[in-house]
Amino acid sequence: MSNFFKLLYNEQFKIYIRKSTWIMYLLLAGIIVTLAVVANSYGELNEKYQQDNWREVLQEENNEINDTLKKNEDSFVSMQLEKNNFHLENDIQPREYDAWQFVMENELLLSLVTLFTIIVAAGIIANEFKWGTIKLLLIRPLSRTKILLSKYISVLVFAFFTLLFVLLFSWIVGALFFGVNGEPSFVQYQLGNYAEASVFEEITKGYGYQLVTLLMMATFAFMISSAFRQSSLAIGVAIFLMFAGNSIVGFFADRSWAKYILFANTNLEQYEFGDPMIEGMTLGFSISVLAVYYIVFLLISWLFFTKRDVAGH
Amino acid sequence: MSEPAMQLLDVKKNIGSKQIIKGISFTINQGEVFGFIGPNGAGKTTTIRMMVGLMNLSDGDIRIMGNSIKSDYKQAAREIGAIVENPEMYPFMSGKQNLLHYARMIPGVTKERVHEVISLVGLEKPINDKVGKYSLGMRQRLGIAQALLHKPSVLILDEPTNGLDPAGIREIRTYIRSLAEKENVAVIISSHLLSEIEQMCDRIGIIKNGELIAIQDVHDTQAEKQISQILMEVTPAEKACELLKSQHDIESAVKGGALLFQNEKELIPQLIKTLVEHDISVFQVSVTKASLEDKFFDLIGENTIE
Repeated sequence: MSNFFKLLYNEQFKIYIRKSTWIMYLLLAGIIVTLAVVANSYGELNEKYQQDNWREVLQEENNEINDTLKKNEDSFVSMQLEKNNFHLENDIQPREYDAWQFVMENELLLSLVTLFTIIVAAGIIANEFKWGTIKLLLIRPLSRTKILLSKYISVLVFAFFTLLFVLLFSWIVGALFFGVNGEPSFVQYQLGNYAEASVFEEITKGYGYQLVTLLMMATFAFMISSAFRQSSLAIGVAIFLMFAGNSIVGFFADRSWAKYILFANTNLEQYEFGDPMIEGMTLGFSISVLAVYYIVFLLISWLFFTKRDVAGH
Repeated sequence: MSEPAMQLLDVKKNIGSKQIIKGISFTINQGEVFGFIGPNGAGKTTTIRMMVGLMNLSDGDIRIMGNSIKSDYKQAAREIGAIVENPEMYPFMSGKQNLLHYARMIPGVTKERVHEVISLVGLEKPINDKVGKYSLGMRQRLGIAQALLHKPSVLILDEPTNGLDPAGIREIRTYIRSLAEKENVAVIISSHLLSEIEQMCDRIGIIKNGELIAIQDVHDTQAEKQISQILMEVTPAEKACELLKSQHDIESAVKGGALLFQNEKELIPQLIKTLVEHDISVFQVSVTKASLEDKFFDLIGENTIE
């Protein structure tokens, strides 16, 4: 087993010693700081509700909104009215924007993490072929399956570290800019009503749902990398599919087999709102479809990597 | 006699419907340097890739220190160190990082061994520089260092002199000989240039169109009574040619006032005597040993790729 950890260490070493990996992290860090600066200067930080007179502040706001509504109907301000009423009726003081909420909003950065993981997954096999080092790698007294597994796990470890980096760095930057509140919650629109939600829960859910896409697309890129030994192809196809996925489903939506398309199933959040992309789909169905795709991707990667000759160029 | 270091048993390789390797068998002993010669496209690299497990065998078997590469790959691979084609390393890592990377893949290779290997190939100074900055000669040495990390019984070097300058080739030659003699390592060297490796090999196998057409013992040919290429500058040449034919039954070619033929060196005094007795002036006699290179070309004929 320690043997396998050494392989894993090797793969991690090769990922993190390269400048391109550090550029990915610098990019993420840059974006996080920029988002914090933008939120700090232009965002709604709820500072005005932090005094003891927050009820009056809200009431005043409602009066203003009612005035504008009399002049002309505007759904955006009427939503604000509803939200304010929820706070007043349930006697919940609006919380000041803090590090936790900042972390929650940075959930959108996960598509960037997915992108980076795809790039790493696409290169981890193909680059060894490009550099010619695959020959020296595969003449060691180790089974190819073990080497492949170390590479795949390495991709997942990279995704995990990058995700951890986004969470931690967002929290630290958020704490510096906005401070930290204990046990944060916030009020959001949910299933036609406003309700109070825990920020921790939202962070777990928001990041968790996106991890499904990350895992599937990274494994897909890994498969292409193993089968075609070409990183640019793997990156291209995986990213194209990631962005075009929904359109593909939309295009074939009227076919009976549309629900078996991978991208119809990657968004598990659809079941929380009880509104699946294609009628008749259930959470169990989607998880089964995802599992089948996942196993097929790994199986194809394994077959190509272990069975094919490493021939000349 | 100890166990052979490597045995090839009727090895065949098909790619598609084409048979690339058509049944090669030979044995390499411990401490022997074996040259593997053939024109480009003859199947050298394919055979080497099968020896190291990069390609599967279509038929036959390869045994390394008795372990089959097919059924006992891990044991077999443990005994092999190799450079396949160019010594390609991770260019963004230092020489030492590269060696440590490969050391981690084989159980039992210590840090001390890594340092030992580094000094063995004389790379102490640039070992912490990035491999991307290395010259081809330095990378070649690093490649050998990498192949020796786990003290293999068989060292396989595919075209190790490729792209090296004469000094570098000489260095590798000395180094390989000492490895074979001191550490009893069996070394297999492939090349398409026979002259480059002739001097460091004990035996040479010649491959052509996927078949092993000859195995030549280098030392034998030097000790043996040898047929030499003899050139005699004589006048008149035509008369001399006829004389050799009638008196000694030697076919010779007349080339610009000189006779050219092949025969044993020991015969030369007799021939001169005959010529002088018949009033032929002999200006010069020169003998060139038929080198392995000539034999090589005799054997492979024209460099055709099927």
